[in-house]
Amino acid sequence: MAKSMSFIVGVIAVLMLSHAAYSTIQYRALLKITEDEFSGPPFEVVVELALVLILSLFAGLTVPGNFRSILPDSDENRVVSLPSNMNFMIFNHRGKAFPTEADLKLK
Amino acid sequence: MVSKTEESQLQQLENQVENGGGGAWEYLSLVRKLKLRRSDKVLNHGLTILNDPKKRSALGPDEWTLYEQVAIAALDCQSLEVAKDCIKVLQKKFPESKRVGRLEAMLLEAKGSWAEAEKAYSSLLEDNPLDQVISMRRVAMAKARGDILGAIEWLNKYLEIFMADHDAWRELAEIYVSLQMYKQAAFCYEELILSQPMIPLYHLAYADVIYTIGGLENLQTAKKYYASTVELTGGKNTRALFGICLCTSAIAQLTKGRNNEDKEISGLAAAALEKDYKQSSPGKLSLLSSTLRSLKIQ
Repeated sequence: MAKSMSFIVGVIAVLMLSHAAYSTIQYRALLKITEDEFSGPPFEVVVELALVLILSLFAGLTVPGNFRSILPDSDENRVVSLPSNMNFMIFNHRGKAFPTEADLKLK
Repeated sequence: MVSKTEESQLQQLENQVENGGGGAWEYLSLVRKLKLRRSDKVLNHGLTILNDPKKRSALGPDEWTLYEQVAIAALDCQSLEVAKDCIKVLQKKFPESKRVGRLEAMLLEAKGSWAEAEKAYSSLLEDNPLDQVISMRRVAMAKARGDILGAIEWLNKYLEIFMADHDAWRELAEIYVSLQMYKQAAFCYEELILSQPMIPLYHLAYADVIYTIGGLENLQTAKKYYASTVELTGGKNTRALFGICLCTSAIAQLTKGRNNEDKEISGLAAAALEKDYKQSSPGKLSLLSSTLRSLKIQ
């Protein structure tokens, strides 16, 4: 649910970015008619771009998933036991003295 | 490597499966992924799946992996009939497979016919002299027959070719420890720490071995490795904390208290131990404090 929300935010950010580009093009076309020098995009577009930056950062950080811990002592990274060495497993151990139930059978 | 999260996940699944809550296939997959030895449970629950044609066909190609897993578990539980049937099914499906050939040789091993198993492994090795698993089986076979020195020899030969195989290094270290050849075991653990420096259990095992060898210099090294274990586990390893206490007390005995810089670290370890005991087993707190007092840490 939260993920789809932030995905929508990302889509809105992309739409806003293209809107800002479109407005800048329009603004330049207007400047050509009035024969002014282009010194920078208008203030509204700069504000929109700042908003786009924040929104897309938010979406980019939340959509791909949660952060994983890099601390060696966090629960995901702390190794508490090693795998038993299955390749070196031997079969004549004390378990031999305790036969398993006799009714086990592959049908 | 089994991390803390995976361990608790396994525990939960195991309880669920044991109480008939379903999820047997997930449990078996997790056991396979974590490479654990739970042969009796694998045999029980694996057979239930395999004996139910509906469940079995739902697995798709994973069915054959399950047959292999159950076969090995059955060998470990000495249910040779079940193992034989599983291997027969696999043999029918994959007539030329080396992997099935290995299982057949393992069946011979479990029966105790060593000469025949040896012959089977040799013929498999002839086809592919660099097969790692078969070389490992030879080591295991020597160990199973009680020929520990032979196992060491095979293992050393194997490690000359596959030096990066840390499981084999660990096996060698454990064999050396069982023979009380601590210097050699320490070498193996050094190799393991070099190849996987972020695993606290190797630091801990190395420290144990070095502590057992004894001597002032070794004790100081052991203390350092216990400390690195504490660092890597965030102080959640009780054995490492006890190790620090024991090391500092042994060092103090050897230097007759001339060396005062250890007071701080042993005090910290003791405090961490006390906190831990208070939380998880308050009844044994008095035992802990009497132990620490006898080590002259408190």
